[in-house]
Amino acid sequence: MSQINRIDGGQIDRSKLLSFTFNGREMHGHPGDTLASALLANGQILVGRSFKYHRPRGILTAGSEEPNALVQLRSGARQEPNTRATVTELFDGLTATSQNHRGPLEFDLMAVTDFASPFLSAGFYYKTFMWPRAFWEKLYEPAIRSSAGLGRLSMQDDPDHYDKGFLHCDLLVIGAGPSGLAAALTAARSGARVILADEDFTPGGRLNSETLSVDNMAGADWARMAVAELASLPNVRLMTRTTVYGAYDHGTYGALERCTDHLADSGGKPRQVLWRIYSKRAVLAAGATERPIAFGNNDRPGVMMASAVRTYVNRFGVAPGKQVAVFTNNDDGWRTAADLAARGVSVVAIIDSRDKPAVCDVPGARHIRGAAVKDTVGRKALKSVTLTDGQVIPTDCLAVSGGWNPNVHLTCHQRGRPNWRDDLQAFVPGDSLPVGMQVAGAANGAMTLGAALAEGHAQAARQLDALGLTAKGSAPQAEDEPRDCAGFWHVKESAKRAWVDLQNDVTVKDIKQANREGFRSVELLKRYTTMGMATDQGKTSNIAGLAILAEDAGKPIPEVGTTIFRPPYTPIPIGALAGRARGKDFRPYRLTPSHKWASENGATFVEVGNWLRAQWYARPGEQGWRDSVDREALQTRQSVGICDVTTLGKIDIQGRDAAEFLNRVYSNAFLKLPVGKVRYGLMLREDGIAYDDGTTARMSENHYVMTTTTANAVLVFRRLEFARQCLWPGLDVHLISTTDGWAQFAVAGPNARNLLRKVVDEAHDLSNEGFPFMACGEVTVCGGMPARLFRISFSGELAYEVAVPARYGNSMMDVLMEAGREFDAVPYGTEALGVMRIEKGHAAGNELNGQTTALNLGLGGMVSQKKDCIGQTLSKRPEMNRDDAIRLVGFRPVDRSKKLIAGSHFITKGDEAIMDNDQGWMSSVAYSPSLGHSIGLGFIKRGHERMGEIVRAMSPVHDTEMEVEIVSAHFIDPEGDRLRG
Amino acid sequence: MADYSLISTPPLAGTDLRFGTCRITAPADLALVSLALPLGGEDAAQKAIAKAFGTALPDIGQSAAASDGSTTLLRLGIDQGFVMFTHATPDAERVVAAKLGGAAYTTDQTDVWCALDVTGPDCRRALERICPIDLHPDAFTIGSLARTTMEHLGVIVIRTDTDSFRLLSASSSAQSFLHAVETSFANVM
Amino acid sequence: MIINHPLLGPRDAAEFVYLGDASLIDRPDWQDPDAAEKFYEYGYLRDNPAGQHQELWYHEQGDRSWLVVTRDTLSHEITKVELARDVAKARGRDK
Repeated sequence: MSQINRIDGGQIDRSKLLSFTFNGREMHGHPGDTLASALLANGQILVGRSFKYHRPRGILTAGSEEPNALVQLRSGARQEPNTRATVTELFDGLTATSQNHRGPLEFDLMAVTDFASPFLSAGFYYKTFMWPRAFWEKLYEPAIRSSAGLGRLSMQDDPDHYDKGFLHCDLLVIGAGPSGLAAALTAARSGARVILADEDFTPGGRLNSETLSVDNMAGADWARMAVAELASLPNVRLMTRTTVYGAYDHGTYGALERCTDHLADSGGKPRQVLWRIYSKRAVLAAGATERPIAFGNNDRPGVMMASAVRTYVNRFGVAPGKQVAVFTNNDDGWRTAADLAARGVSVVAIIDSRDKPAVCDVPGARHIRGAAVKDTVGRKALKSVTLTDGQVIPTDCLAVSGGWNPNVHLTCHQRGRPNWRDDLQAFVPGDSLPVGMQVAGAANGAMTLGAALAEGHAQAARQLDALGLTAKGSAPQAEDEPRDCAGFWHVKESAKRAWVDLQNDVTVKDIKQANREGFRSVELLKRYTTMGMATDQGKTSNIAGLAILAEDAGKPIPEVGTTIFRPPYTPIPIGALAGRARGKDFRPYRLTPSHKWASENGATFVEVGNWLRAQWYARPGEQGWRDSVDREALQTRQSVGICDVTTLGKIDIQGRDAAEFLNRVYSNAFLKLPVGKVRYGLMLREDGIAYDDGTTARMSENHYVMTTTTANAVLVFRRLEFARQCLWPGLDVHLISTTDGWAQFAVAGPNARNLLRKVVDEAHDLSNEGFPFMACGEVTVCGGMPARLFRISFSGELAYEVAVPARYGNSMMDVLMEAGREFDAVPYGTEALGVMRIEKGHAAGNELNGQTTALNLGLGGMVSQKKDCIGQTLSKRPEMNRDDAIRLVGFRPVDRSKKLIAGSHFITKGDEAIMDNDQGWMSSVAYSPSLGHSIGLGFIKRGHERMGEIVRAMSPVHDTEMEVEIVSAHFIDPEGDRLRG
Repeated sequence: MADYSLISTPPLAGTDLRFGTCRITAPADLALVSLALPLGGEDAAQKAIAKAFGTALPDIGQSAAASDGSTTLLRLGIDQGFVMFTHATPDAERVVAAKLGGAAYTTDQTDVWCALDVTGPDCRRALERICPIDLHPDAFTIGSLARTTMEHLGVIVIRTDTDSFRLLSASSSAQSFLHAVETSFANVM
Repeated sequence: MIINHPLLGPRDAAEFVYLGDASLIDRPDWQDPDAAEKFYEYGYLRDNPAGQHQELWYHEQGDRSWLVVTRDTLSHEITKVELARDVAKARGRDK
């Protein structure tokens, strides 16, 4: 097919020919074309089928407001549905297919729905598919889903990359049309840091589509000069293909830059960048959108917006028709007729709804006053229009102008409401704008070129003044074209369906029906009829729709109001919102110092928060994780095991009042902890619930090292800063995290001391007397390496934790294993760690779950009554100290071969298994290789007084029940001889 | 005894990446020691710091070069600063503490952090993709620093020269940090 | 949102962690005869005004300072930002 509709002129590069395909047919266009202009140039008037009725549809507009011309772009995994042909920049090799039809576009089998339209009016979902109920899921919904909807997803992973970014400026100018360019020039010349963003690939806005002059030169030429000047200034960032889609708090804006969408191949670069723009001030120069008039069969391919017809002729050198008719209610429609005539495109008639003289002279065109189009003919392409007086005018393109709506969207993103202006018959920005924003040009109701330029300059000057800068230069000059407009929304004489929202197939009749059925608020109207939903968000339909509602309800338009405008202004791909956060880059990960060693020695890793920790170290021949875990736990208890415990939070606490501070944040006493000793500490929330636990070591008089659980490291630090700054600002205490600074290893088991004796330098006494249980100190290892040694035990064995600077951590793991070779030392992971702590009855995250108190945990004695501490007062509340409070105890299955289930609830034998009889729950379970059966920790009422009692452990989720015996939580070495040995 | 010796393997050691005219390297043997100013003892601490380094801790958000020409003092908070210098052995904290004679509390931070130096004319364009701080030379002059977040990671960014920045982030997430920085350059170059 | 940090200037709220009503500074005296009642009120009873609100924000991805931010909960307008330690001292908190 050749470019049969291509005419002279326009801003396209005719020296280069671009090939593309539409529904498999090869076509050609030029750089500077959009897909829509190229399709029109090639005579492709029919481009898609409508959403509900599968009506043939053509191109309506030349911008981002397009409701009809949605296509699937590209193929394979890069296939993108619902792409607006009107903003898709043409590139060589582009492939596009039409959407929403079965069989070929010209003979859509689903077009039968159009004949069923009487049954598919507003709210048909809610009415038609009510009965029988069982049909909904099996029949109605699948049928509706397959027939409705627009494009199709590829169902493959998106192979493109996306990125995000942050920009800062004094002044953000949104839109590079005449007022935006004027504003940006004024601000840029005055030295402000300016960002100018425009959704188009060629800045200039309507100047590229009009034949108007600025400063005595062609508007498009002036725009090019302005852009060149802006591009040359270091204080300006010019962003084309960038849509500012949302206005957020305090001058923050969201913008989407389409970086490689206009290229055949992204070259591995991000396809789009989602920017967060921090602006001190902003000028919104988003222009205006022309609106249609509703009349019978106004959705035929060939019925277009008058401004779009002008754009195709002037900017793209494409005549959308050979015999164009214009239907207008305002002066601006006349310019389409005049421009077309000037370019040699035949204009057959100008139908003006107003009974007033010609606005300008259009050679060859009939002027029909006070008339309207009531119907059209031509199923797949327009053939003629029928006027209210009955006369039929043959035409292949009807240019419709219903007036202009200022693009107020971003002015409303912070809950601002627009104001109605009678003289424009349109909503303009209201009084409550987002902080720091001013509006200029057509977006603000300055609908003529001269006024738009002047306002762009003036609003920039106003913003510069607020920034403490002086505006330089003066406003560009242009004439003010005639702009009279009548409030004329739909043709009442039309008997046929008149479309308001082309994207959702909403007609005038649907709106009237909604009003009749009581959906009278504009927000309800939207949801009942779906008007203004989907990709175009009603840019061409909303105002007309609510005007028709107002008319039907007998109310003035401002009283009906608009729906709330919300971001995004135009659709944002999910990929852009995700940015880099996909797959393994979803969030950062943290590695322990011995990670390399672990991965070389068979470790399986588990995510613990952001950390990757060794879960177990499989050895050849082991059949499953239990084999490895059992071996690690047993060997640790029998000889010695080594575990990287770096992930525990470490907080360095210093200051003259550090002891006093610790005494207040821990429930137990810390004032008298001697230097060189470690103490277990329990933290409560202010409401008395247990919060976190760990050990704190006193390294010197005013220097402590606190450890927290891995999960709460950040939260505890935050809490301590709160206590330090907000509760007791007079204490001299200082905090800094050292979690990542020290590689810390637990060395546990009867041979722990023997192993460490080989690593810790000789000068340090490791004997039980010289370095007893709960001792700590600074030592040196491996011949002078500074290290910290703590004699603490989570496993219940004779155990130490030794810490070296993290960069030596991987090497330290090697050394410990090497030194442990003679003892058959074993590395152990988090699973064996968990097994051993359950065997020892130590509470962990499952027990410190935000519901349990110190009393519940069996640590009631750890809440000192002699001092204040966070949580002390409220922990004394009677309800938290009932005699029948739950207590942490151990459990074992009566039938030792059975496996306990965490989450089981306890029921006293003989009681009915109902919630009222609930006695508590099992919080942690493990197989104890030392005991040879399953063991558990759990909370049960009066547990400490019920040793030996058999209760039922029920798990309705697993549909299991078993008898368990209440035992001490200390399954191993209850007297603690081992850890003190 | 002690037949064993420990080998240092900092997470980003040896990093040297080039993107056009830009370069990402990991500074070798970078030592960091935090200083906390005692409550009520701020003036005495500042005097001791000035005596030890030839300059007091600068204003928050600024760094200052010490008189030895190689040490930099960073002011991170109202009562907190860092001493940054090149020092290979694991005793940086002792070195700094010895100079201050107890006038400020010191904590070794060397292994808490990892560092990347990024240089080149397109640095700022790359960092725009991850850094929410305004790095325009008028807003973020040479010597300025900010503690912020990049790709969910806490980062201290310091402008060391017109087209050079030093970035510090937690050592445990060094690989994610390097990936974030590297991707930013790859995406814009 | 942008919080104008008194020491660092304007910073994105994404760097901060929100806690809530700044009355959390006013922790009661444990030896007060009505301590139980006062701690109950401190812990559980807080205003949730539609309008001006003094609230605590923590600059976790920044200088680690706690701030008292006076913010209009309807418009998000921030009229005052203070260091919480200064507010605490002004309210009589010390050691």
